[in-house]
Amino acid sequence: MGLLALLRKLKSTQEKDLRILLLGLDNAGKTTLLKFLASEEITNVAPTQGFNIKTVQSAGFRLNVWDIGGQRKIRPYWKNYFENTDILLYVIDSADRKRFEETGMELQELLEEDKLHGVPLLVFANKQDLLNSAPASDIAEGLNLLKIRDRPWQIQAASALTGEGIKDGMEWVIKTVKKK
Amino acid sequence: MKLKRFLLRYFPPGIILEYEQGGSVKTKSVDLLDLQPGTPVDAVVDEITRKEPLITASKTDQVRKLIIRLQEKLNQRDDHHFYLFKVLRAHILPLTNVAFNKSGSSFITGSYDRTCKIWDTASGEELHTLEGHRNVVYAIAFNNPYGDKVATGSFDKTCKLWSADTGKCYHTYRGHISEIVCLSFNPQSSMIATGSMDTTAKLWDVETGVEVSTLSGHSAEIISLSFNNYGDELITGSFDHTVSIWDVRTGKRIHTLIGHKAEISSAQFSWDCKLVATGSMDRTCKIWDAATGRCIGTLRGHDDEVLDVAFDYTGTHLLSASADGTARCYDTVSHNVISTLQGHEGEISKIAFNPQGTTVLSASSDKTARLWDPDTGACKQILEGHTDEVFSCAFNYEGNTIITGSKDNTCRIWR
Repeated sequence: MGLLALLRKLKSTQEKDLRILLLGLDNAGKTTLLKFLASEEITNVAPTQGFNIKTVQSAGFRLNVWDIGGQRKIRPYWKNYFENTDILLYVIDSADRKRFEETGMELQELLEEDKLHGVPLLVFANKQDLLNSAPASDIAEGLNLLKIRDRPWQIQAASALTGEGIKDGMEWVIKTVKKK
Repeated sequence: MKLKRFLLRYFPPGIILEYEQGGSVKTKSVDLLDLQPGTPVDAVVDEITRKEPLITASKTDQVRKLIIRLQEKLNQRDDHHFYLFKVLRAHILPLTNVAFNKSGSSFITGSYDRTCKIWDTASGEELHTLEGHRNVVYAIAFNNPYGDKVATGSFDKTCKLWSADTGKCYHTYRGHISEIVCLSFNPQSSMIATGSMDTTAKLWDVETGVEVSTLSGHSAEIISLSFNNYGDELITGSFDHTVSIWDVRTGKRIHTLIGHKAEISSAQFSWDCKLVATGSMDRTCKIWDAATGRCIGTLRGHDDEVLDVAFDYTGTHLLSASADGTARCYDTVSHNVISTLQGHEGEISKIAFNPQGTTVLSASSDKTARLWDPDTGACKQILEGHTDEVFSCAFNYEGNTIITGSKDNTCRIWR
């Protein structure tokens, strides 16, 4: 039991770190979702320039959530954040039907990335609190999620504003990681 | 370029040339790592004169005298018998690490009681208690050779810089998100490197107190780090089984040393920075070429995890300390075992050469520290008295004083 053994003990009692990458088009609600996860006030969320990181404790895990801005000019930088990702959270504005095609293409490109190979995917069909939002099942079909074979995936109807569905989504995240 | 004066360096043997160039005073060192008491003096003088333009014909007599002095020092018989000089009831909780300043006039102890203390070696008097950390003070260092500053790394995730003279805290370095478990000053004392359980190492500016860069790339805890002798490269050993060599200036990784099959416990540069030695939980040590990052030898023989490694100053011998209760001394050229140090009744957690390279010091969970002859493996002396595991031990630069730190909350000085 020298000093090194103490460090190893320290290590084993530490919570496991998870790196969660939060992506999606601009105005999808990523930062709002992040704030909800961190139990922070959600008023006045401005478009994200660059990125936000927050650490949230949950079920013995430490979730390091990286929220990367979704504006078109920032998207080329997404790839800098791919490495060591445990879970990909993809957020969609379910009410913004005219951008479904664009968001679908971006997601498709992400799924083809080498560095994200096999990384479990959780799609948040966000903004379900809006009347004109599309149901999660329609979005799953529109995004061709059913064809994904190379990784666990899930779609979750949610509202980052009201918190609806987020707990269920995060439970799926923990369950999926524990299986790995 | 004009030679001003010579400075003698005993360990490792060398002559420092102080010279003037463009109005400023500079130094360079002529390293004589291979010097032996029996080496023909004239041959050494000739070689230095041939290679070193500062040494002109008129200076050769002086150089000859210096070499003879170095040889006399090397020839001194090492029959120093250590006795217990003082028991310091140092802390109210177990000690972690201990370290001397360059001259050995004072030393520092870190502890679970969240403090670091500075001690006067000659009197055993406590000079300062460095208070302010909110958790275990684990990693500590003097900014040798200057010795006017102390850095402490804590489980509270911060590193603090203190004045060794007044005990005043200059800076608190924040940024790591987990415990700091290793640290070092660069040789110029302008920077501190810290390694953390958060898998990163960070470089901090001594003067301004700001972060210089974050070295990220390891996928698990960094538990060992050290600068090379020039201060331009840093190595980090990690629980991710690898060791990285970093360019200090750019913060970029130069090499990743891959080959160990389990966690790294220790990573060290040789004094001339040509070799890197690593110890691992996979029960082996490896020797690497620092320039290419290639593994040039795997040293096997231990029956359990290797917990510490140490070079001698000349880089010709390497020590390994193991959880199997033995230590080994290897030849770094042939990679053969020179001796096996058997006798401890528990794991050996720390190992070190004296500066002369003639005696080995080991600290063990069997509550003793022991002194050994590296050539024969014979135990020269058992330093007994601690009532619990000995976690740490160190020689001073002269090699005539030893400090040991223990789980029994005390520190002992042996002379």
